[in-house]
Amino acid sequence: MTIKPGSEEKKWVGQALPRKEEDRLLRGRGRFADDIKLRDMAYLRFVRSPYAHARIISIDTSAAEALAGVVCALTGKEIVSQTQPFIEIGADSKVRDYPFAVSKVRYQGEPVAAVVAESASVADDAAELVHVEYEALEPVVDAEQALEDKSILHEESGTNKIWNGVFEYGDVEKAFQDAASVVHIDRLHFHRFSSTPLENNVVIGEWNQKDDHIYYSCNNSFPSFAIQFLSAHLNVHIDRIRVQTSDIGGSFGIKITNYPQMAVVALASKKAGGRPVKWVETRSEHMTSSAHGNERTFRDTRVALDKNGVITAITSRHIDDCGAYPRYEPLGCVIWSQVFPGVYRFKNARIDFTQTVTNKCPVGPNRGYSRMQHLWFLERVIDICAHHLGIPADEMRMRNYIRPEEFPYTTPNGCVYDSGNYPGMLEVAKQLIGWDEWKKKQDEARKRGRLIGIGIGTTLDSGTNNFGQSQIVNPGAPFSGNSQGANCKLDIYGEVVVAVGSCPQGQGHETTAAQVVADVLNISPDLITVRTGFDTERNVHTGFSGTYASQFAVSGLSAVHGAAQKLKTEMKRLAAFVLETKDDDIEFGVGAQGPELRAKTTGKSINYWGLANIVNVNSAVLPAEMYDITLNCRYIWRAPFKVPDKQRKYGNLTLTYASQLHIAVVEVDCETFIPVILDYVAVDDCGTVINPPIVEGQVYGATAHGIGAALLENCAYDAVGNMLTSTFSDYTPITAVNMPKIKYGHIQTPSPHSYSGAKGMGEGGAAPIHTISAALQDALFSNGIIIEDSFNNADSLFRALVGKEICQAEKLVKLERRAS
Amino acid sequence: MPETIEKIPLKVNVNGKAYARNIEPRMLLVEFLREELDLTGTHVGCDTTYCGACTVLMNGAAVKSCTVFAVQADDAEILTVEGLEKDGQLHPIQKAFGDAYGLQCGYCTPGLLISTYQLLSHNKQPSAKEIGKAIAGNTCRCTGYQNIFKAIQLAAQNKTGA
Amino acid sequence: MITQIGDEAKLLAGGQSLIPLMKLRFANPRHLVDLNFIPDISYIKEENGALRFGALTRHAEIEDSAIAAKLPIIHDCAAGIADVQVRNRGTIGGSIAEADPSGDWATVLLTQSTEVRCLSPKGERAVPLNQFITDAYTTVLAHDELVSEIRVKIPPKRTGAAYLAFKRAAPVYPTASAAVSVAIEGDVCKEAAIALGCVGLTAIKATAAEAALRGQQLTDKSIAAAAEAARNAADPQPDMRGSAGYKRALVLALVKRAIEIAVRRARGEQVEVSHIYA
Repeated sequence: MTIKPGSEEKKWVGQALPRKEEDRLLRGRGRFADDIKLRDMAYLRFVRSPYAHARIISIDTSAAEALAGVVCALTGKEIVSQTQPFIEIGADSKVRDYPFAVSKVRYQGEPVAAVVAESASVADDAAELVHVEYEALEPVVDAEQALEDKSILHEESGTNKIWNGVFEYGDVEKAFQDAASVVHIDRLHFHRFSSTPLENNVVIGEWNQKDDHIYYSCNNSFPSFAIQFLSAHLNVHIDRIRVQTSDIGGSFGIKITNYPQMAVVALASKKAGGRPVKWVETRSEHMTSSAHGNERTFRDTRVALDKNGVITAITSRHIDDCGAYPRYEPLGCVIWSQVFPGVYRFKNARIDFTQTVTNKCPVGPNRGYSRMQHLWFLERVIDICAHHLGIPADEMRMRNYIRPEEFPYTTPNGCVYDSGNYPGMLEVAKQLIGWDEWKKKQDEARKRGRLIGIGIGTTLDSGTNNFGQSQIVNPGAPFSGNSQGANCKLDIYGEVVVAVGSCPQGQGHETTAAQVVADVLNISPDLITVRTGFDTERNVHTGFSGTYASQFAVSGLSAVHGAAQKLKTEMKRLAAFVLETKDDDIEFGVGAQGPELRAKTTGKSINYWGLANIVNVNSAVLPAEMYDITLNCRYIWRAPFKVPDKQRKYGNLTLTYASQLHIAVVEVDCETFIPVILDYVAVDDCGTVINPPIVEGQVYGATAHGIGAALLENCAYDAVGNMLTSTFSDYTPITAVNMPKIKYGHIQTPSPHSYSGAKGMGEGGAAPIHTISAALQDALFSNGIIIEDSFNNADSLFRALVGKEICQAEKLVKLERRAS
Repeated sequence: MPETIEKIPLKVNVNGKAYARNIEPRMLLVEFLREELDLTGTHVGCDTTYCGACTVLMNGAAVKSCTVFAVQADDAEILTVEGLEKDGQLHPIQKAFGDAYGLQCGYCTPGLLISTYQLLSHNKQPSAKEIGKAIAGNTCRCTGYQNIFKAIQLAAQNKTGA
Repeated sequence: MITQIGDEAKLLAGGQSLIPLMKLRFANPRHLVDLNFIPDISYIKEENGALRFGALTRHAEIEDSAIAAKLPIIHDCAAGIADVQVRNRGTIGGSIAEADPSGDWATVLLTQSTEVRCLSPKGERAVPLNQFITDAYTTVLAHDELVSEIRVKIPPKRTGAAYLAFKRAAPVYPTASAAVSVAIEGDVCKEAAIALGCVGLTAIKATAAEAALRGQQLTDKSIAAAAEAARNAADPQPDMRGSAGYKRALVLALVKRAIEIAVRRARGEQVEVSHIYA
């Protein structure tokens, strides 16, 4: 069923409506997983490895188990006999992934045992009494070193390499032959960081011994994915695993991969006789062992440019570090190619992509997952070429951008960018920041020796994945397309109730869903109840239900819209029967008796209670041909995808492409080397906007994450795999005093793929990281600096400018000018 | 540690109500509020006194309740987020946060509301710089703080009727 | 009570350093003696040319105090410690007794004439601050002794002092900090006290830097020389806040700026100072 955009009145969609979620959250009445207390609940604490790589010689839990108040203890050896290793997404993967380390540990913080006790503090006491003996092994923390296979993490695999693929399109060799200039960039590096939601992972699990069902209350943000893994791992029928989520304190993708801890909690509950068991992650555990974002190294990059500075070809080797266990990876090996050329027009490229394990925390789909690394790489390429060729940053981009008239635009690898206007966004951004005035100020400041830079960062937020791209990584993977479900019904007393398949963590899904249904039925969103939270037992969902990958506005709301339309059709038929008129005589509105349907010709009406009454408890009134009317409508929205061509690595991998363009003015203090943001603009385009303040709020939030990642936040390891930023005090997530004032701008290029024209947004594409790298390089290029890493702070800028240890353009970049 | 820990008595006033309990001396104030009194609006977000999700008012001063032992609140007056509303009506600060979209997931919100409460009790018209200073110990991962600044300025306006 | 319990007791004042250590199980005292209920050890007074701070005075109280504001460097310090919530609990006596290498009070008060008054069952004694802290987390306090008061002499006219720090965020310790006090006569520096914070096992009194200023005309050159000497006096450890080389460079910049502000204050100018955040 395709609904043409604009075929119904948009009264509520597009409005700045207050959020339904607000009331309970403001009153402190949110229901977060740790707020849930069950009768007879016990508490679980993990024992974790202090080593990054070591063999487990022995584990002695006897002292812990002897402590008063301890219920039981669990180790890896014990659960291996009860479970299958987790499904691996990679093809022919020999990795054996259990939720505990079994014979060896592979990252600092990996769980080796767990204790369950009557209280959290006794569990803490008991965990200290578990005695583990290790034999240290050689850790490897550098991805390129890992690929040398001198110290192998998974012996069964025989190598640390998880996957390799070459993505090649167009005629690369010819482009380099014809190039007017060629730029070589030796090395670029995107650092490891995490969005660190403020609420840590929490799992309450109960393996009920009476009905052999596993009941979870937790804050996993992609439960349909989790239960597929849990069912196979625990040998439990998927329908016997119920996952319920309620309010979630942020996830940003990090809470997608907590299914190993979910498995342990279930097994612990079973061992404890079926008592509910609660695990509340500490912040230190979260920093060391939940999930980090991908770290990626870019080597031997060669760029071919024509005489106007237009890029014609790029070749590069990309090495992705996924930490100790692939888990949600190696999807990251192909997901970056959703934005293969970024926002640029080049048609020829060869990217050799390798993913490897290292002795670090496993990686998860952190906000901006796998694409932001690639987009940062492309922005570095543009800026490094521009600086070396002497082309101003804005000019360089205008010459290289995909043009607005080229949409829908098919990229070299077959992805279709639905809509966009990058030059338009650049104009808006330049106006908002006062580009010309800043250029003047920059010139004057430079004369006085100040280091001021102006940088542009353009990024894409590709939303609604085609899961068929997993087959590029693993031809046998039984995943493709995308779908989302929703349910819309009139309850027994006529109340409008909507259930969605998402697990919102602050994105306002309850509110936007109500806005959509309100427009369909022509009533106020206040009259619509949207069920909060997610429940696998509600069966509205499909295998892809959850909240991730910037898609709710497209997939979720399209499903809600479809369900509401189905309900509307049924209501109309029923009302026409009751009011003795034709379907097209019926109009929807609100009357003296609440929401109602009215016959235009006679003025007679029936309210929602009346309709629901007939169907639910008064059905003898109904003629047989209306028995199919249930006023309880489920709708599955499916994305119009095909399975990609696995050989050529070609096909449409995402449905919508939101974009953001940021400009930053940054000064590096000559004495303290502290980078300060003097001015900042964020312009976004996510197509039609359902609720403007919700979108604006997420742009600010994504901007803060990006600025934090660029200047403050780094998941750092030392040479032997000790995690150095294991507390917030070391990691320093961005705070109010670190934030510049953001000037916000907005354009709308509607997507043809959603009924409303909206595109998914929310990840933001990490524009600030690209932008700040660009601004810093602009500030320091005349000092011989190029920005080679996505993380920069006073310390690294000092080492670059004074120590000349890093970021030296003459060491990292070579420009070859060819005779034209 | 292995032997049982002697409990000691605590008398404390929370949101206008008096409570008396016997608790382990090592119990933190935030644990007392959440587990003993079932006031789960106050949250825990970190373990090094950084994030401020646990902020409550103790004798009129904002404190991080994860870094105060419950027994230290003996005879004290505590205000948590649950105590801000009156007869079901939102406090002007709560209303301002809602109106200005100053929250998304809501996890940091209770702590921020209390920090704002302290700020506005002492400073009727805080500047942006003063607001920044007042919430420097409250981490938010969703909003990017911009709408929180707007919310606090709105709350200041509403309270002074400006 | 401390004498009764013996070695296994720790004193609890603000708890903003001790409790985090206990939560991470780096400190596991069997007993805590809570000083917060002792009356009359929280006060701010001016008496006989000195500012007297009761040991349990909270940083926030000092930040808001008009009496304490007579020494602007004291306000610089109090207002810059951590965040509002921590300042509402943390105490000046607790901070000095804890002797954290990154502690702000020790750094600042080393530039002033400061006395730590200590109380034990045997009686009271006064220890100059520069003799009180001997090493990281180590003071001359006996086990049954506690800090009762910090006494800071009000310096003569034509003296100015300032405290500057760079912090990545409010709730964390500075990457480096500099406290400077100068007494001037016209354009000449009569007396100088310079202390460096977070770049050694304790706060460092940069005596060579002081000598580079003392008796000199206050020019860009002499200030630069003092800052350079201060850089050389720093003995930082590399950590997540920065490399050793960077911390030294930062010290130089902070000392230079702190001297400039101290001089302006010595000349009677009201200068507001706040920490630098990344």
